[in-house]
Amino acid sequence: MSATVSHLREPLVMGGKPRLADITNAIVAPMENKPSGLWWAAFIPAVTLFVAGFTTIGYQISEGIGTWGLNKTVGWGWDITNFVWWVGIGHAGTAISAILFLFRQKWRTAINRSAEAMTILAVICAALFPFIHMGRPWFGWWWFAPLPNMRGPLWVNFRSPLLWDFFAISTYFSISCVFWYFGLLPDLATFRDRTKKKLQKQIYGILSFGWTGSNRDWSHYEIVYTILAALAAPLVLSVHTIVSMDFATSVIPGWHTTIFPPYFVAGALFSGFAMVLTLLVIARKTQKLEHIIAESHVDNMAKVVLATGMLVGLAYSTEFLIGWYSGSNYEGFIFFSNRAVGPYAWAYWTMISCNVISPQIFWWAPMRRNMVVVFIMSIFVNIGMWFERFVIIVTSLHRDYLPSSWSMYSPTWVEILEFGGTLGFFFTAYLLFVRFLPTVSIAEVKMVSAWAQRDSHGHGSHGHATASGPGAMGLHPTPAAPKEEVLHG
Amino acid sequence: MASAHAAPASEATNGNKPFLVALFGDEHALIEATSAARTGGLPIHDCYTPYPVHGLDAAMGLKRSWLPYIAFCYGTFGLLLAISLQVHTQYVDFVPLWKGWPIIIGGKPFLSWPAFVPVFFELTVLCTGHLTVLTYLIYRRLLPGMKPKISVPGVTDDKFALALDPAAVGFDEGRARALFADHGAVEVLTVEGR
Repeated sequence: MSATVSHLREPLVMGGKPRLADITNAIVAPMENKPSGLWWAAFIPAVTLFVAGFTTIGYQISEGIGTWGLNKTVGWGWDITNFVWWVGIGHAGTAISAILFLFRQKWRTAINRSAEAMTILAVICAALFPFIHMGRPWFGWWWFAPLPNMRGPLWVNFRSPLLWDFFAISTYFSISCVFWYFGLLPDLATFRDRTKKKLQKQIYGILSFGWTGSNRDWSHYEIVYTILAALAAPLVLSVHTIVSMDFATSVIPGWHTTIFPPYFVAGALFSGFAMVLTLLVIARKTQKLEHIIAESHVDNMAKVVLATGMLVGLAYSTEFLIGWYSGSNYEGFIFFSNRAVGPYAWAYWTMISCNVISPQIFWWAPMRRNMVVVFIMSIFVNIGMWFERFVIIVTSLHRDYLPSSWSMYSPTWVEILEFGGTLGFFFTAYLLFVRFLPTVSIAEVKMVSAWAQRDSHGHGSHGHATASGPGAMGLHPTPAAPKEEVLHG
Repeated sequence: MASAHAAPASEATNGNKPFLVALFGDEHALIEATSAARTGGLPIHDCYTPYPVHGLDAAMGLKRSWLPYIAFCYGTFGLLLAISLQVHTQYVDFVPLWKGWPIIIGGKPFLSWPAFVPVFFELTVLCTGHLTVLTYLIYRRLLPGMKPKISVPGVTDDKFALALDPAAVGFDEGRARALFADHGAVEVLTVEGR
């Protein structure tokens, strides 16, 4: 078997052939240096928003759901919109870390760690909304969890997609945490062995579980990591499928469609990759990781955004096709008269322009590598996907079967601040993550960089990788060990 | 390449003799040295690397991990748990003290199993993932606050180490040092470890 890193492809780690120690230095630098002014400039508003939002949640819980703008007709508003939006954002993290891992897409190594952190934070933000929309969340356990109780007992209803959602989201959250932390172990040990500060050494010593870098540990570790990836990949698809079933199993026109599961999954990846881009375009610049999170990685993600953007575009047009082709008055009404030209048409067309039209700019290669364009586009997509959820939820509800109960919905300051609070929490926690944990997987980047170096040596005589390289000066070349394992491509 | 006859590396240690450790500058030298040590009958304790080095398992004579089998068992357990949970609460009530009232919902039969599939899947994944990781961590003694069994300098950064066990049968310091030198060890040192 020969090395499979193509010479036509750009290297995964830029800047010539970095020594392994250079990779460590570059990635842990933000953890060792004092935070920059820019970091504080982002952190302070984020914390402020976080505190304001969570105080508002306290107010809402003490006062009741009446503080929201919901009414008898529109029973789900910003709460569930935000829930679906945040869960969707979480999906890219798992897609990058698990699905791309299983498909051996090595460019993922630069971005998977921060994407996974983003997943966990996004799922926390998401889970908050169903929790607080119950009004008295402490009673939620009896509705959600199959706990033995004194009322018969009266069990939860396993035929309900809302209950499936409880199982899906909690499994997804906990497996994502394990997957992320498991990947962090070797890197925490790297920092433990490196830091000179006593307190840091102690804390990272506890966190790194006594990792020694032993090959016996690595040998099982890789298997467990693969198992986790293999579990997380279908899991992530199941989660948004089940979220879509919250809608699809109802009999409300605009929700009751079989296209929902793939449509929601595509939308989730779309918004998630956009959020990864939002974070990474900034992080690579401020953390000076441009040689590790290379332009080619941003380029790849922009391509995913383009592809998934067209998938959701296809879903939008399919809904219209079925609205017409089904001959159903209700379907036709909801899509043509209500969404496209109804009172929420502005939201519908914001969605179309952000999600379908504007990503088309990524057909043009220089735009995929222009960080300003990519950043602005990622914000557009985030906005567009938020509106997609808003359109699906509110426009399907606000004109129901009985025209006398038709109404409009607009959020109150409570809902707006609570959404702001989750954004604040997300960025606060992300900024702390950037300060205290390695944002890029050190071990994995070293592995791909070593492959690339070996490939350039074995060039011309594939399979005869020689033991030379910057770290092995003075070695006499020795015959290669079994090729299959060594030149794992 | 390691010959088929050479004994695989053994983790068992005897005595408190510190390990003889050679540091290499790249993974290739380590694989070569490990293969050679094993063929030459030198007792390999372990190797230490900054990232998983492919080919090193073969050089050390390690078998493929058994964890996938146990992961399968955990998955089966999760599935059975999900089946019994749902069948019990929605259909037959087979746990004595937890008896309840199965409820007709939307005119659906009690055993409407297709509606139970999502939870089958989720609990299977939940149990497999958590229990497999837990098994790994306990088996490898990697738990919060554990002290590292050995601290080889540089192996979490850019060094690749081969540790030989001086207390084991077949150890010969002269031959070991010659082998290290032959394969271009950057540094040879003794390291205390468990």
